[in-house]
Amino acid sequence: MSQPNSASAPQLITAEGQVIANDWQLLADEDAIGADGAYVLTFKRALADLPTLNGRYGVRIEPGDDVRELIPYLDKIALVEVSFPGYRDGRGYSTARILKQNLGFTGPIRAVGDVLRDQAHYMLRCGFTELLLKDADPEGVIAWIKSLYQYSYQSAADAHKPVWALRHAKTEA
Amino acid sequence: MYVYDHYDHAIVKQRNAEFSDQVRRRLSGEITEDQFKPLRLMNGVYLQLHAYMLRVAVPYGVLSSRQVRKFAHIARTYDRGFGHFTTRQNIQFNWIKLAEVPAILDELAEVEMHAIQTSGNCIRNTTTDQFAGAAKDEIDDPRPWAELIRQWSTFHPEYAFLPRKFKIAITGATEDRAAVRVHDIGLQLTERGFDVYAGGGLGRTPAVAPLIKSGLPGEKLLSYLEACLRVYNRYGRRDNSYKARIKILVAALGAEEYARQVEAEWNALDQDAIDAPYAEIARIKSFFPAPAYKAEAFDQAAFDRAKAADSRFARWVRNNTLAHRNDDHISLTISLKPIGGVPGDASDAQMDVMADLADDYAYGELRVSHEQNIILPHVHRNDLYTIYQKLDAAGLGEANVAQITDMIACPGLDYCSLANARSIPLAQDISRRFEDAQLSDTIGELKIKISGCINACGHHHVGHIGILGVDKQGVEFYQILLGGRADEKAALGAITGKGLSAEDVPAAIERVVKLYLELRTDPSERFIDTLGRLGRDTFKEALHEPA
Repeated sequence: MSQPNSASAPQLITAEGQVIANDWQLLADEDAIGADGAYVLTFKRALADLPTLNGRYGVRIEPGDDVRELIPYLDKIALVEVSFPGYRDGRGYSTARILKQNLGFTGPIRAVGDVLRDQAHYMLRCGFTELLLKDADPEGVIAWIKSLYQYSYQSAADAHKPVWALRHAKTEA
Repeated sequence: MYVYDHYDHAIVKQRNAEFSDQVRRRLSGEITEDQFKPLRLMNGVYLQLHAYMLRVAVPYGVLSSRQVRKFAHIARTYDRGFGHFTTRQNIQFNWIKLAEVPAILDELAEVEMHAIQTSGNCIRNTTTDQFAGAAKDEIDDPRPWAELIRQWSTFHPEYAFLPRKFKIAITGATEDRAAVRVHDIGLQLTERGFDVYAGGGLGRTPAVAPLIKSGLPGEKLLSYLEACLRVYNRYGRRDNSYKARIKILVAALGAEEYARQVEAEWNALDQDAIDAPYAEIARIKSFFPAPAYKAEAFDQAAFDRAKAADSRFARWVRNNTLAHRNDDHISLTISLKPIGGVPGDASDAQMDVMADLADDYAYGELRVSHEQNIILPHVHRNDLYTIYQKLDAAGLGEANVAQITDMIACPGLDYCSLANARSIPLAQDISRRFEDAQLSDTIGELKIKISGCINACGHHHVGHIGILGVDKQGVEFYQILLGGRADEKAALGAITGKGLSAEDVPAAIERVVKLYLELRTDPSERFIDTLGRLGRDTFKEALHEPA
């Protein structure tokens, strides 16, 4: 099984394996929001400013933030970035599933930070739609994952049917 | 036992392909040891003091003879001719070459085995009663539920990077032989469904788990576990790995508040998408029928004659067997604790002998107990003497189950890079000190558990006598705990006084035992009962003062 090589520049990739440009800009809390452009607000700022802002913004969620606090403002949120400061901190997986499955958020959910190919499969299953991946050849990464993980035992936030559903669909047919 | 279908096979095969590629990248230098570490740990490969160790999952401790034969083959071909059965009902191979790990994993896959989630901060192998499906006091068989959990937890995408490792244990019997209340989640099967305990554990901060839910219907088990894990994943501490287990979270929130949060999360989940339907539970259950019991009357007279003629056999029957629900049958424990031996080790030849015996007399089935012994769960009583003779000839005839020389010991400083002190040589010294069979029988049930460091892999907190190795300025010392137990009356032992040197421990234990023999009301009062009646202080002096 061939595999892509590691490299340094992170690239943004969709769950379908397409490299896309990043049009969003993370704003520091002290920076003013420009007239046009696509801005990502910190979680703290989003909670403070979204009630009075018009337009739609991105929000960056850190591991300790409770995504449910965003419920009142979901219609103003065009993108969520879930931050992984270190790959071993797995809180972002729950954040993505709650966002997609409990809160019904339909916009892009992006994994940023320490995002490696070895976590990509789990991220896609938890509902992430975009990964800012630290590997070169990101298209290869997605193809590689899809070749490896044909079946999943459990349902999550992606289209994979759990193996039990496949088993019993077959016997009924 | 459970048999893989093509989905199960495909999932293991996919994982092996992925891991083989990761090993290849490491061996070619494409990735560093630092980058490789989290990847190998996801697959049970540890770098120990002297070599790589591979930990193979034995799902809920259930093995076929074919699998045990494969272990023998792996021990012979890739290791130094032995394997080590662990307190998680798994097996470890201690002298493995990294380059050969992919080949070993492929060999294991042939017999429906793997090393998935035997390490790392994920949901580990679910453990259960080694007498499941055989014991008389069983309310419901825990194995199908453990298999359901195995499948649900394998590569669970949300819970691959938990704050810390996560261990689930299930029992379906009234006597808790699976120590469920010292697990992250303990499940007790009752007639009304599951009683769920959360936040137990050993390690630095031992805790007995409180009950958080009773009467959970089996069909809702997975979604409820999903909710338990989600609350833990989000709110368990990640700033200090010693405070990251769920027991710390449950203690900080209080059991009621943790249960409330779980309930809220559970109600918010799409339970129907998560819970396997009844048809799937029935499918899994169909793999665990009672064996087709040999229809042969038990020959009591012949059995009595054999016992009368061979007193060692009589002792072995008395100590190593447990009543079976089928009166002509019995469950037997093969002790992996020979006097002076390494607790839990078995040679390749011994594994082959056990596999052959399972095929010839035990419907092909074996179990690993968390007490590091091997069980033949269903044997006809007429076959006992033949089995005993064959075991004895292979050095597996020790008749010490649940006695003072049937110790749990972690690998300790002989293998483990975390240990502060050696465990195995101390276990061997204690074993030799109590090798006299008559003395051991007189003492009766007494469980010694030894850990070489505070991480408590040897379960020292729940030993009737627990021994904890510590390092004091480069010198190994051992602290002695009294009064722990892991059964349905789970309790944690307490440290008694200052540490002892390795040379002093066996004599100190001997003094405690001698005092117990003097103080017990009659031979039916076990050590743990006498200790409970008189208190630790009575025994503390004996530990620390030469008689």
